[in-house]
Amino acid sequence: MSDPQRRPEGGREPRQVTWIWLVYLFLFNLAIPWYWPAGFRGPLVAGLPTWVAVTIAAVVLLAIWTGFVIHYFWDDDFDPRFVDDRPDEGGAL
Amino acid sequence: METVGPSLGLGGILFVAAYLLSTIFIGWLARKRRQNDSLADFYLAGRSMGVAVLFLTLYATQYSGNTMFGYAGRAYQIGFGWMVSALFMFSIIVGYLLFAPRLVVLARVKAFITPGDFISYRFGSKALTLLATLLMIYALANYILAQLKAMGAAVEGITSGAVPSAYGIVALAIIMVIYETLGGMRSVAWTDVMQGVVLLIGFAILLFVIPGLGGGLTAVVEEVSRIAPEKVIAPSAEACTTWISYLILIGCGAAIYPQAIQRLYSSRSVTAIKRSFTFMAFMPLTTSLIAVLCGITGIVVLPELVAAETDQVLPRLCALVMNESLLGYWLIVVVFAAALAALMSTADSALLSISSMITRDIYQAHFRPGADEAELTWVGKVCSWIAVAILIVVAIGTEKTLVRLLELKFEVLVQIAPCFFLGLYWRYLSAPTVVTGILVGIGLALGLTLFGQTRVFGFHAGVVGLAANVAVCAVGSSYCWFTARRASSAAGAPETDAAVFLTR
Repeated sequence: MSDPQRRPEGGREPRQVTWIWLVYLFLFNLAIPWYWPAGFRGPLVAGLPTWVAVTIAAVVLLAIWTGFVIHYFWDDDFDPRFVDDRPDEGGAL
Repeated sequence: METVGPSLGLGGILFVAAYLLSTIFIGWLARKRRQNDSLADFYLAGRSMGVAVLFLTLYATQYSGNTMFGYAGRAYQIGFGWMVSALFMFSIIVGYLLFAPRLVVLARVKAFITPGDFISYRFGSKALTLLATLLMIYALANYILAQLKAMGAAVEGITSGAVPSAYGIVALAIIMVIYETLGGMRSVAWTDVMQGVVLLIGFAILLFVIPGLGGGLTAVVEEVSRIAPEKVIAPSAEACTTWISYLILIGCGAAIYPQAIQRLYSSRSVTAIKRSFTFMAFMPLTTSLIAVLCGITGIVVLPELVAAETDQVLPRLCALVMNESLLGYWLIVVVFAAALAALMSTADSALLSISSMITRDIYQAHFRPGADEAELTWVGKVCSWIAVAILIVVAIGTEKTLVRLLELKFEVLVQIAPCFFLGLYWRYLSAPTVVTGILVGIGLALGLTLFGQTRVFGFHAGVVGLAANVAVCAVGSSYCWFTARRASSAAGAPETDAAVFLTR
């Protein structure tokens, strides 16, 4: 963890940050072509139907967003919360 | 599939043979690098994988022969609607983000070898661990079967039938199990590096040469718009529901592939995993998307294919490229080496994973708890040979198609997802609840499939089963929470975290 002030609790992971998933929701909504009118193809963009080009652009954005999320919201360092003093057999709850 | 490839001729066959022999050489090199006879060294390469190896082994494992042949065939059948494949392959990475950060740390601290190790640790239930292990072995066996059948078809194709499919299956499977036995995960991962690079080059070549057969991408799409307009228009509302279903089915199912989880265990550091995932997020664009474009080109260039023949669209397009020029010939030789790489890299990883689960989660857990590491490693190698022998017999003896096998695999595998996605975060999720959820989910998924209801309102039967599975987990966890809270109130003490772990 390079900046302890910015990440005081350590062991941060993407699942804990709600707005990350709201962005994913938006981008997946963009990638799934539900909003086009029935029978829509549109003019060709780089040789592809418009809706296909938009879907590909959304996948690119999703990949970039994922890179950002992994870099900034998944801590590399060891998280002591996972250490418990119980035996390795675990135990049913 | 009757055939997968055009005849390569002597030069091409020698090239492919050299490639196959090099995998054994890599296996031998990996054996020389082994550090001890431990399970961690054999099945997890001593937990030493850096970014390059981890990324390429994840890539080569995740993208199978089905990506190359099946996806092109599916795009040929339904057109651009199969763009969903690029999205669902991406969704696997999102699936990892939902549980991998916590799992990889825990795996390192507790020295997990198999996915079953985590389940055993988290739930403390031998019954649940055995159930999950058997389901994972079943799913992986199906996966290997599909790869073996495609390998046989590929060999038969490139030799113009001179080598029958059955011989091809036996020969390639034996090569695979030899290098795997030599070096375990280390040799599988190193061959994956070569296979991953060949696969990337193969797809780049396909993008370069295939659309050109139809006069370029623009001409191809205009022609498809004229002869089959339904294949270029945006999907219907119900089809979009199926897109969502695919995202859930593949995003949750493929993320918990045992061989993929073991690669996370094998990483040198969390940084290596993070960087590998970042690269993997872009791979659908270099792989699935290209397979779709090849299938679309096939609609124009090979309009006569029907039914099962559609899986041959890519090989047939390659045959056309081969006949055009000497350069085209050698480019396609590389593409077919890539196809074999895709098939073998997926099958060897799944085989190693099966071997580890039988050894660790069944043999050691139930029969020989006191066995030392050397004995377990030896048992694992024997298991690999026995498993591959059984799978060869089944692969040669069955007639099921590639796609059907894959469908059955995901319907089952995805039911284990709550163990990881919820088990790492829901503190009151108990073993009996998870077992009940898995049985309900599988019962529903297979019951619907059995009665011909493979989709319900556009959602796959497996996803419907998963929804019921998660509902059972939610109800069971709520009940456990309520019971624990009532007990702590009756005792007059606030609830503590002493009896729980993981989920904070």
